[in-house]
Amino acid sequence: MAEPMSDPTHEPSRDATDDVVFRADDLVKRFGAVTALAGAGLYLRRGEVLGLIGDNGAGKSTLIKILCGFHKPDSGTLTLEGEEVVLRSVEHARSLGIDIVYQDLALVNELSVFHNMFLNREAVRGRLLQNRRMRRLATENLAALGITNIPDVSVEVAKLSGGQRQAIAVARAVNSDAKVLLLDEPLAAMGAKEGALILDLIQDLRANSNVSMIVIAHNYAQILEVCDRINVLQHGRITFDKPTSQTSLAELTDLMVTEYRTARRQLGGAVSQ
Amino acid sequence: MVTTDTSSTEPSPTPTGVGEGPAARGSTWRTFVSAFLRRREASVFIVAIGLMVYFRLSSEVFLEKPNLVNIAQASAPGAIVAVGVVLLLVSGEIDLSVGMVFALAPFLMHYAADFYGVPPIPSIILSLVVAALIGLGNGLIVCFLKVPSFVATLGTFYVLFGVVLTTSHAYPAQIPPSMEGRIQSWLGAADWAELIWGLLIVAYFHVMFTRTRWGIYTVSVGGNLLGATEAGIRVNRIKIGNFMMASTLGAFAGIMEAFRVNTIDPNLGGGTGVTFTAISAAVIGGTALAGGSGTMIGALLGAVVLAVLQNGFNLIGISANPFYLILGAAILISMIANQYLARLRRAGGT
Amino acid sequence: MRKVDPVVEQAVETLDLPGPTRRRLLAGTGLVSASLAASALLSACTGDNDDDGGSAAAASGAFGNFPKTPKWKFVFVCHVTTNPFFTPTQYGAEDACKLLGAEFQWTGSKDSIVAEMVNATNTAVTAKADGIALAVVDKSAFRDPVDKALDAGIPVVSYNADGAVDDPGTNRLAYIGQGLYESGYALGQRALEQVDSGDVAAFIATPGQLNIQPRIDGAQAAIKESGKSINFQSVATNADITKGQSIIDAYVQGHQNVAGLLAVDAGSTQSVGVMVKKYDLRSKSLKVAGGFDLVPETLQSVKDGDLDYTIDQQPYLQGFLPVFALYLYKLSGGLISPSQTNTGLLFVTEDNVEPYQTSKNRYEGSDDKPQLIERSGAIAHA
Repeated sequence: MAEPMSDPTHEPSRDATDDVVFRADDLVKRFGAVTALAGAGLYLRRGEVLGLIGDNGAGKSTLIKILCGFHKPDSGTLTLEGEEVVLRSVEHARSLGIDIVYQDLALVNELSVFHNMFLNREAVRGRLLQNRRMRRLATENLAALGITNIPDVSVEVAKLSGGQRQAIAVARAVNSDAKVLLLDEPLAAMGAKEGALILDLIQDLRANSNVSMIVIAHNYAQILEVCDRINVLQHGRITFDKPTSQTSLAELTDLMVTEYRTARRQLGGAVSQ
Repeated sequence: MVTTDTSSTEPSPTPTGVGEGPAARGSTWRTFVSAFLRRREASVFIVAIGLMVYFRLSSEVFLEKPNLVNIAQASAPGAIVAVGVVLLLVSGEIDLSVGMVFALAPFLMHYAADFYGVPPIPSIILSLVVAALIGLGNGLIVCFLKVPSFVATLGTFYVLFGVVLTTSHAYPAQIPPSMEGRIQSWLGAADWAELIWGLLIVAYFHVMFTRTRWGIYTVSVGGNLLGATEAGIRVNRIKIGNFMMASTLGAFAGIMEAFRVNTIDPNLGGGTGVTFTAISAAVIGGTALAGGSGTMIGALLGAVVLAVLQNGFNLIGISANPFYLILGAAILISMIANQYLARLRRAGGT
Repeated sequence: MRKVDPVVEQAVETLDLPGPTRRRLLAGTGLVSASLAASALLSACTGDNDDDGGSAAAASGAFGNFPKTPKWKFVFVCHVTTNPFFTPTQYGAEDACKLLGAEFQWTGSKDSIVAEMVNATNTAVTAKADGIALAVVDKSAFRDPVDKALDAGIPVVSYNADGAVDDPGTNRLAYIGQGLYESGYALGQRALEQVDSGDVAAFIATPGQLNIQPRIDGAQAAIKESGKSINFQSVATNADITKGQSIIDAYVQGHQNVAGLLAVDAGSTQSVGVMVKKYDLRSKSLKVAGGFDLVPETLQSVKDGDLDYTIDQQPYLQGFLPVFALYLYKLSGGLISPSQTNTGLLFVTEDNVEPYQTSKNRYEGSDDKPQLIERSGAIAHA
């Protein structure tokens, strides 16, 4: 049964007493003539998995990239553990405990699994790489995360399947002791079986560690399965914020379909009921 | 595949204890052989050996010391320049101007020593520093002005060509008198000098490429530029650094050749000749033109293959006109053999 | 018995191959056999080692009053191996070798790369060549290689180029070729007969290269000493004829009122002739155009009047005479030493160009067939 739609100008609650580890307020970002974000804001509680959905072009990737330090917002603030931060770069964000798994995974095909897992944070003695150590750590980490489908960390990443590559990318991010983990479309281009493995991984992380996550995805059923709360980004703003338990697949679908119908009407075409 | 990964090719420890039998020893040898053949340099190595065998059969003097010196002197400059070319190719760029830095560097050294009275070793170092600056220029133009490296370095090539011709009045110069003797000998004129320097350089850069972060980052930048940036790697720093190293290596090789041939010639290296040889050596050795993977040892072997072809056919007595036909055919045959062996390797056969 | 490819078999029968090669061809398969066959066929085709079907292993020696000698191998090291100027040189060397029962190898560098020439010389030494003829285009690079050859008992002569005006640059036994500075001086002097003032451009393919730089120096000196108000400018073209032609084209386009166009190498001379015709410079202010060597296009330009004269270096002799010099040295155990030889300086003009053109022959490089060229009548003289 569809519930009344949320107020489109809804803003994240400013007096949430729950332990908020990360929040963003009034983020605005323009690329030339295009306004990607028009005052978007969200908050993330400790240990929570927040799902972020929205139409293509709504600004999800831009929002995530600002949160991880890749882009700087034109205006707006970010607050980490109660203190305002300005993220100078991805490395800086990482040093503060914010990490991201990109949509394109940022894996180097010609390198091995363990080199990818340690990319830009290699173990070195003097100037030389400690390959054996990294190999060992990588194997241990994958095992600790319950990732069992990667038999040999010395294999080139090019030879792995999409699911395996995703698993490594997630493992790499988790490896870094992140407080906040951002996952940009982790399930895109993945078959049902492999997608299920990744969902299991996310579930495990949620259950066994204190890391807080924001997950962008298109498959609402999957989102509802792993996330505690759902945000919807429309036209550069968050227009919907509800715990998973209080919403449903039908409501989310309706939300998106209504937007689609509005767009069609604006274009002047006949809309089928 | 980057040669950082050697673990998969290490022989596994034999499960039996001390005093294992001949069967286990045989399997260690077989593991060693299959490990060797799995390396990408194996194919070019086999081609090099094959050519040497062929030429030895065709001419008894091929493997005598004087001729080995000839081969060494013919491969070293190409190998040194190829090392720099590999660094650039792997990071997804190319440098056409390195052949001109090769010709310019000895002149710079000569101007410093003979016109400004700079002592010998500082002159040489000064020349290398200028080369590094030229590489810096190339890198800045490519990374910040976003000009594709092929075009940018082509421009640099002609600029340097003009500099060489106008400053030298297109006339060859003598080796500075202050450098005759020990310096000239150690830096190129002695029989094995070029080869020793070449081997040292290849060894150093091999370690740098396979066992340090710089090597990993170079592969990353060439293999997935966006991904490398996203992972936080300072991609421009890597590219610019590689441009600088390539130019400096080109300069060093040029200085050594000038010392060996005992003249500072505006046409040293034949302009694009050295560039072309270096790129060919890198590619024959197994470095991909598209970027993302490469091998220093392969480049050395590639340079040796080219030098052996030149020297061998000359030794047999092939004259200039048919020479090119045969050289081209030989390169094609070598490369086909190379590819064939590489395909066997990839398919897992040994 | 392994089956031998019929083509390989035929190659072995028709060609005259050294024993080891023949053995390997018959025994080998696939790649090795094919490449050996290719190289054997090719060296036979180019006629470098042609010896009338006599046994390759045994020596035949020269005709006439000469004893049997081993088939000596002489190595010619050239700076522009594929340049057509040297085609008659190679014919000359080949003809001399055939007479004397010797053979020669034509090697060096295609693009005037001194290092390559040094490598080729060193390789000739390690290959234990019986004699070396070297175009000494750099005055310091060849000192050591030539010394090494002489130390190994290999006689060395220079041809076509002999270091700088003041310094031959090597300890070669003799120079066989044209006086370089003198020929340039003559070029300039001849030009002065037709031009008194204005711009004169002199084109040189590889500036600094010691087989032609002295010529341009000589031309410049001649014009300067004349005291006439001529603006002499030397312009670099390119060892590659096609690129050089574009350069000369561009220059002429920008200087259509030039008074004199000179060139000191074959390629540039040919291109000058082409440009004079293309831009119809004879109807403009051009007073004189001249150059070197007898490339067919250049001869045609002289015939058509686009070029006033060209200088014959007699490249045939530059291949023919070194072989004899080296042979006699080897034959006499060093008693007959090569001697300085000037291969001549002849002006070819509209008046005497015809025989050069009409006879296509080996001596000028325009044909490979050996022939007798008849001439009759008086010989022109001053």
